Amino acid sequence: MTLFSQIIQYAISGITSGSIYAVIGICWSLVYLITKVLNFTTGEFVMLGGMLTWGFRGAGFGLVPSVLFAITCTILISMILERIAIRPVRFPSEMTYMMITIAAASVIKGVVLLGWGSETRTIPAFFGTEVIHLFGATMTSQILCVLGLLVIVTLGLSLFLNRTLFGKALRASAINVTGASLMGIDISRFRFFCFGLAGGLGAITGIVITPITFTGYEVGMLTGLKGLVAAIVGGWTMTGTMVAALMLGLFEGFGAGFISAGLKDVFSLLVMILFLIFRTMDLALWRGSVMR
Amino acid sequence: MNGRPRQKLLWLILITVIVAIPFVAGSYVVGVMCFVAIFGGLALGMGLLLEQAGMFSLAHPTWFGLGGYVSGILAVRGIAPPWLGSIFGAVFVGIISYIIGAPLLRLKGYYLACATFGLLLIVEITMGQLGTLTGGNEGLMGIPPLSVGGLVLETDVHYYYLSWVLCLGCLWFLYNLMDSRMGRAIKSFNDSEVAARSMGINVPWYKLKVFILTAVMASMIGSVYTFYLRFTQPSIFGFPLLVELVTMIIIGGGKTLYGPLLGAFVVMWLREAIHLSLGGLLPRMSAQVDALFFGLIIIVILIFMPGGLSGWIDRFLYFGRQVFGRTDG
Repeated sequence: MTLFSQIIQYAISGITSGSIYAVIGICWSLVYLITKVLNFTTGEFVMLGGMLTWGFRGAGFGLVPSVLFAITCTILISMILERIAIRPVRFPSEMTYMMITIAAASVIKGVVLLGWGSETRTIPAFFGTEVIHLFGATMTSQILCVLGLLVIVTLGLSLFLNRTLFGKALRASAINVTGASLMGIDISRFRFFCFGLAGGLGAITGIVITPITFTGYEVGMLTGLKGLVAAIVGGWTMTGTMVAALMLGLFEGFGAGFISAGLKDVFSLLVMILFLIFRTMDLALWRGSVMR
Repeated sequence: MNGRPRQKLLWLILITVIVAIPFVAGSYVVGVMCFVAIFGGLALGMGLLLEQAGMFSLAHPTWFGLGGYVSGILAVRGIAPPWLGSIFGAVFVGIISYIIGAPLLRLKGYYLACATFGLLLIVEITMGQLGTLTGGNEGLMGIPPLSVGGLVLETDVHYYYLSWVLCLGCLWFLYNLMDSRMGRAIKSFNDSEVAARSMGINVPWYKLKVFILTAVMASMIGSVYTFYLRFTQPSIFGFPLLVELVTMIIIGGGKTLYGPLLGAFVVMWLREAIHLSLGGLLPRMSAQVDALFFGLIIIVILIFMPGGLSGWIDRFLYFGRQVFGRTDG
């Protein structure tokens, strides 16, 4: 393998994981912007999507019905979570919300571990396992599915948010919750809806990557966190999240290829910490001293 | 406050009970109470950080693990005897937490939580990858027992007393700390950072100080834990421990200083009860399965009794004072 084809190979794997992080990042920001809840169960929904599809397939359903059942179940779980765990909190604060979602994540993880054990699972690729050659690098058709998912999700969401009344109301309540509710927008219904949407998107992502990366009870936390990194670096906007996620994926792909595969996850978490520290720096002051 | 003599009495009762337990109860109870002391001491520091100082740092298990690793590695390599290694570990963690805390504590709320959560996972993964130094994911083996001079601490009872001395020492230290100038500063910037700043309190400096103090406490407890188990592993201080600590703080209630210790007592015995009653039913009992139950408890308590157990006790005592107490004025 030449260096060039190696680079192409790492870039392909980077873009694949980058598009996954982009969709997950959008899930985080959907919930965060409307409800101000940092929903740590997002990663678990990704895991649930893959595991439920595997479970339904094991129960004898075909691929398409089991995918649909898995998505529906995850949406329901997400909505139930909002109703029974997030809404009844009496003194809502960032800390309480975060503890509740972390707790819910560990509950979901524990239930899956008890039910299906700690083995990794997989489902067959959607369109066979044909290998596509590209400049000496290889990729499977499933990777194209992942890229397609990213395109469909972003196009669909931007159409929904910009063209429909419901979507516009959603954007309005993301900008200012109080103002939106004064205009007669039912915020509590939106919170419910956003949790459902995030759960559904997370489940779809989980299903699409399962043939590539496999799934198990513990994949959720790290995958979800990298989506969060993308959302934070992207400033909670859709375009920003996508750009940040693709860059994060590439960075991770090259880091894993050229430095160490075991430290892959460390790189993206370091990016988050460094970015957060960088954010707090007083740039105006800095610029002023340069200008003078 | 007329609470001084009563507080002394409570301390006396607590210490008598702790000292008496190994003479009265069997080795099983002593073993569990030893864990109560270790994790209770850890939760005390984290509770102070979370609820008293309002800094949402999730990296507390990391300091626990790092302290244990440093003293364990020094002892295994024969570089320093265990007691000196524990001190080295504490100094090391103090320096690291200063270097990391100085830029990180500028963050607030969610962002601080995310960054420290990232730190927790980074340290866990890195420890698993440094195979030659730390023994990788299988863990560090062959750690000698703690010994000072000719005295070797080997039995459960030795470690029971050691960890309770450490734990109650931490509690006593925290009570004095919160009664000092620094404690008042902590309370004030938890209520309103702007107000505290305008009164001339150096908020970032105090935040950093609390952060380092609790990190060093956690590291010392971690060293004792490592020498007690004579083994350490990256997964010991990962996500499950975080959930466990949060459960302790929430059950006990972090608004009082003794709350997390109370929570640790409840959580440890609850875990034993769960293992005993469901051990036959559920084949795969592990830290992750414990985290399932703890997660449920966290959700229920945060929704139905946000003050935790100590919140209840305080309300009860307040009620008692209102009805039966002297009227001072």
